[in-house]
Amino acid sequence: MKDEFPIFQRLVNGNKLVYLDNAATTQKPGCVIDAMSDYYSSSNSNVHRAVHTLAGEATEGYEKCRKLLKSRFNANYAIITSGTTEAINLVSHAWGEHNMSQGDVVVLTEMEHHSDIVPWQMLAQKKGIELRYVPVEDGELDMDAFDVALDGAKLVCVVHTSNVLGIRNPVEQIISKSHNIGAKVLLDAAQAVPHEVIDFQALGADFMAFSAHKMCGPTGIGALLVSDEAFAEMQPFMGGGDMIETVTLKGSTYQSNEHKFEAGTPRIAEGFGWAAALEWMEDIDLEFHHGRLLKIANKVSTELQNRGITVYSSLQPGDAAVVSFTHPTIHPEDFARLLDAQGIAVRTGHHCAQPLMEKLGVNGTIRASFYIYNDEEDADIFLSGIDRVLEAMA
Amino acid sequence: MKWPVAIQEIIDEFNEIEDQFEKLEILMDFSSEVDELPFEEWSDENLVRGCQSIAHIEVAVTDGIVHLRSAADAKMVQGLQGILTIAINGNTIQEVLSLTPDFAEEAGILNSLTPSRSNGFRTMFDMIQSSLNEELL
Repeated sequence: MKDEFPIFQRLVNGNKLVYLDNAATTQKPGCVIDAMSDYYSSSNSNVHRAVHTLAGEATEGYEKCRKLLKSRFNANYAIITSGTTEAINLVSHAWGEHNMSQGDVVVLTEMEHHSDIVPWQMLAQKKGIELRYVPVEDGELDMDAFDVALDGAKLVCVVHTSNVLGIRNPVEQIISKSHNIGAKVLLDAAQAVPHEVIDFQALGADFMAFSAHKMCGPTGIGALLVSDEAFAEMQPFMGGGDMIETVTLKGSTYQSNEHKFEAGTPRIAEGFGWAAALEWMEDIDLEFHHGRLLKIANKVSTELQNRGITVYSSLQPGDAAVVSFTHPTIHPEDFARLLDAQGIAVRTGHHCAQPLMEKLGVNGTIRASFYIYNDEEDADIFLSGIDRVLEAMA
Repeated sequence: MKWPVAIQEIIDEFNEIEDQFEKLEILMDFSSEVDELPFEEWSDENLVRGCQSIAHIEVAVTDGIVHLRSAADAKMVQGLQGILTIAINGNTIQEVLSLTPDFAEEAGILNSLTPSRSNGFRTMFDMIQSSLNEELL
């Protein structure tokens, strides 16, 4: 499969590239790069406005992305955003501002990415709402504590699959319990959609946010899927062109569909690119790759532990193939730099999840995250690279 | 630019090495040059901001001669501090103020580090020079 990804032809510091930073962003197949380039070369124009040929092609190409999203995830509404972060902020502004008031409760978890914490802290300051955090125990959400936190909640925001630990949370149970008390559910699915095909309506969440770039698409584009009921409760957040029906000097009326949340010229080339990625992924058996990668990640985890390294990911069936670890004496940054010198790309730091780091009792971890183009050979090179670092730092 | 002998030697040492891994090993070896700032003396004032690891530096001037003490949790940052120690300690304020952090780039050290580390190096350099400028006031 690597043949389809131009980046794997390059060397990094004189070595074959072993890319294990997929939870941060995935690489792009040639067809995605070509689609974006072709749009600028042959169809560049603005969307939804003019009647000329190029405008028609641009609109068709951009809207194809939305159609593919709705089809892949079985959703009636797919608002195109700049990514997961903007999608969550959109819920906060377009739904939270108009449906929450002083004393209302939002349930979050200690496992959330900063992008699913900060927008709610900002809303809490503005509206006087209460935030409750479900604790993490032994790397898992404490579901007994969730039941307690849920009492009287209006919204539950939870990460579907953790970017740090790779753990897949019991989202079905969370949605069911939340709906039983009338709370809406927002899923941060940034790390979930690259690893499993989700039927949004069958799952039953009210909002689901994710990014294109973690599933072989371009950066700068993502989506918010919204249930029919929640969509009816949202009010426009940003005003401007493309989101209106009519504008007079006395006031404006808005579009009734997703466009009312997409003011201004959208990310057209990125839409073309994401559409190409979604079509390319139709032929990818995610279930097969998920099983394969989890097996590789488990092997890597065992090998790391055999070398005296602490691994925080439990890598159970359903979890993403993410191995977060620390060494007792080698600083994560030193570790990662020495791996990079061998062409191995991993992530270090707090992974935008400082509350979880605090819970794990570390300042940061080293994270190796695997994706569909990674293979056994990558894992072997990674482990050899680890050995060279351990030898150098002994 | 013509660098002081000690710095030119560091530049030459790094430039002789092609392998990135070895370059980083050499960088870490420079950590032994650090005059360590004890943990008890770490403070918000001597904290290096913009560095992903924890790093502290303290500059003192005695009889017009500059002396740097430093500490960091990452070995490579300690290595950068070791290089700064060689570049700075025992020199006059004017000599240190005439230095620029470009020598690290010329040695290919900054190229082999993440932007956060490069920024950290520059921040350390700026902190030292600001502190010395205050001495001159």
